[in-house]
Amino acid sequence: MSEHSLEIRDLHARIADGEEILKGVDLVVPRGEVHALMGPNGSGKSTLAKVMAGDPQYEVTGGDVLIDGESILEMEPDERARAGLYLAFQYPVEVPGVSIANFLRLALNARREEGDEIGVMEFYTKLQRAVKALDWDESIIERNLHEGFSGGEKKRSEILQLLVLESRYAILDETDSGLDVDALKVVAKGVNAARGPEFGALVITHYQRLLNYIVPDKVHVMAAGRIVKQGPKELAMELDTRGYDWIRVEAGLAPVGDDEHAPRVGA
Amino acid sequence: MAQLKDNAAVTEAAVDALIARFEEPAWLAEERRAALRTYAATPHPTNRDEVWRYTQLERFAIDGLELVDGPLDASVVDRVSMRLTDSDAEAAMVIKNGEVVQRAGSVGERGVVFTDLRTAVREHEALVREHLYTVVNATMSKAAALDAALWTNGTFLYVPRDVEVALPLGTFTTADRGGLSAGRTLIVVDVNAKVTFVDEYTSEPLGERLAHHAATEIVLKDGAKLRYVSLQNWSREVVQQNKIRARLARDARLESLTVSLGGDAARAEVEVDLEGPGSESEMLGLYFADEGQHYNQYTLQHHATDHALSDLLFKGALRDASTAVYSGVIVVDPGAQKTDAYQTNRNLLLDDESEAVSIPQLEIQANDVKCSHGSTTGPVPEDQRFYLMSRGLRPEVAEHVLVTGFLYEVMSRVTLPKVSEYVERVVQAKLGVPGVKEKL
Repeated sequence: MSEHSLEIRDLHARIADGEEILKGVDLVVPRGEVHALMGPNGSGKSTLAKVMAGDPQYEVTGGDVLIDGESILEMEPDERARAGLYLAFQYPVEVPGVSIANFLRLALNARREEGDEIGVMEFYTKLQRAVKALDWDESIIERNLHEGFSGGEKKRSEILQLLVLESRYAILDETDSGLDVDALKVVAKGVNAARGPEFGALVITHYQRLLNYIVPDKVHVMAAGRIVKQGPKELAMELDTRGYDWIRVEAGLAPVGDDEHAPRVGA
Repeated sequence: MAQLKDNAAVTEAAVDALIARFEEPAWLAEERRAALRTYAATPHPTNRDEVWRYTQLERFAIDGLELVDGPLDASVVDRVSMRLTDSDAEAAMVIKNGEVVQRAGSVGERGVVFTDLRTAVREHEALVREHLYTVVNATMSKAAALDAALWTNGTFLYVPRDVEVALPLGTFTTADRGGLSAGRTLIVVDVNAKVTFVDEYTSEPLGERLAHHAATEIVLKDGAKLRYVSLQNWSREVVQQNKIRARLARDARLESLTVSLGGDAARAEVEVDLEGPGSESEMLGLYFADEGQHYNQYTLQHHATDHALSDLLFKGALRDASTAVYSGVIVVDPGAQKTDAYQTNRNLLLDDESEAVSIPQLEIQANDVKCSHGSTTGPVPEDQRFYLMSRGLRPEVAEHVLVTGFLYEVMSRVTLPKVSEYVERVVQAKLGVPGVKEKL
């Protein structure tokens, strides 16, 4: 399995010199599958995403992360990206002065040998295809990276980049939060366009809603820095109606009663 | 503490020699001699002076340098001729060590005078006499006095009433030898006239030290509009001190951009006197210091009248143990009500060895004004760097993108594509972007 998968083994991590947030995460996403990672606020989902991408503000204290059997923990963030990992940020950063087109060209060329830069036609064909898949206007590629973008536009940009860069594995960190249903459908359409035997994804979400549009092969539930439950896609619905406390209790943790979307009608 | 010393070549005899060589009229001769007396009576700046407090004064030393009395030859180096070819200027001039070595294009608009200052003294004496030394004069500083006494040439630009010059005009000031030199720019834009002028300073490596002094006097009459760019990209043996000052009459508008990229050390003083209600001054500055360069920027936004606006943004990046000092003051005179004055300085430190000092100041003596000032100095935001790297960009490429983006805020406000392209190219060459060489 490990030869064609994104694998997390007993991963421990903390904010540099701070409290441990990940307390032994085990999770495998085989290539060709899309898994959902759910869990209450503060369970460590976003930390897991950032640690995997190599965010320097976190420190790994144990365990491993492997892409197709190769450990990536010693790699710099850019090396991990070139090894095939993509993180769609929960809060995409604004970078003034660089257009989306130029930025993506740099990102694609970073994956190629010097002297073998991507051709203009090939690049624009790729870019236009991705823009189209997201029902976006072509002028977007000339805008500066996230400068003046709405929350929804930023999320859409993350998916656009995912489509253009064609990474083998993607982690989507709450890409759905803050989106209305129409924007959600567009994002889902983009992710579904990337789906295939050569692509694996871990979709982190707080809400079951996204999973109506991106149907997961498996659902993992995280609480207090560990995966506490795994199950089929139906588990997501159950979480949406029952909240997370029962999971905590099952896992031997104290219920906290903070399920902001606990039993709710018509979710 | 560094103590600057006199230069033995700066003498009455040297000034008299200039006057004789240029066959100057008596009034100008007297101005030069008076400036020299002022120079002699003015002490050298020290770090005890507030506006020089953090300046590495010894880097601006002039003692021991010979006065430059012309270029070695009249050739125009590739660096300059390529810039001329690539320029979108309507007319341009190349002044090398005080001599005009090339003129390109001509100004089509009626009555516009665009020539070198020495020629202007002969051919447009009344105009020059009326305005020369009225904005920058010898009493303002030791360096200003030196320039007033010893300038050898420069630009004279006069745009008559109601004339709008469509395309930019420009002067390349260059050198082929070291020593002590001084140049001067005088720009007079008459009532409701409009023009863009670019002063560019550049040279090939000289192999010896050059201390260049520059003074730029700008007179904007009622409703006059000027975009002025001062672009310093000297070779690394050059130190430059430049005082740019403008007087703005009613409803005049100045858009200035001061760029420091070259030289070993450079001090740019950018000062405006807002003397007429409705006048506006946009003041942009950009610098990128590497390999130990030392940049000094001093700015003055002097609101002498009511209902005027000044908006200043100076941004700089530093690396390789470079240093920069920004010191700026907004002065609002009594009675200058309804003033809008803004001042921002931001520094991006690309390593731990570089250092930037930022000293914004306000002196406000009116009570109905809108003023703000602010400064930030810090490293590249870690979240931006991580984001770019998470897309596969190597650390050095991520840095290029972030520096370009940081400086972009300034360049995006300048609507001169050729200037922007050139600045971007020099910045990229300094960053070591593969395949980018500064010389086109």
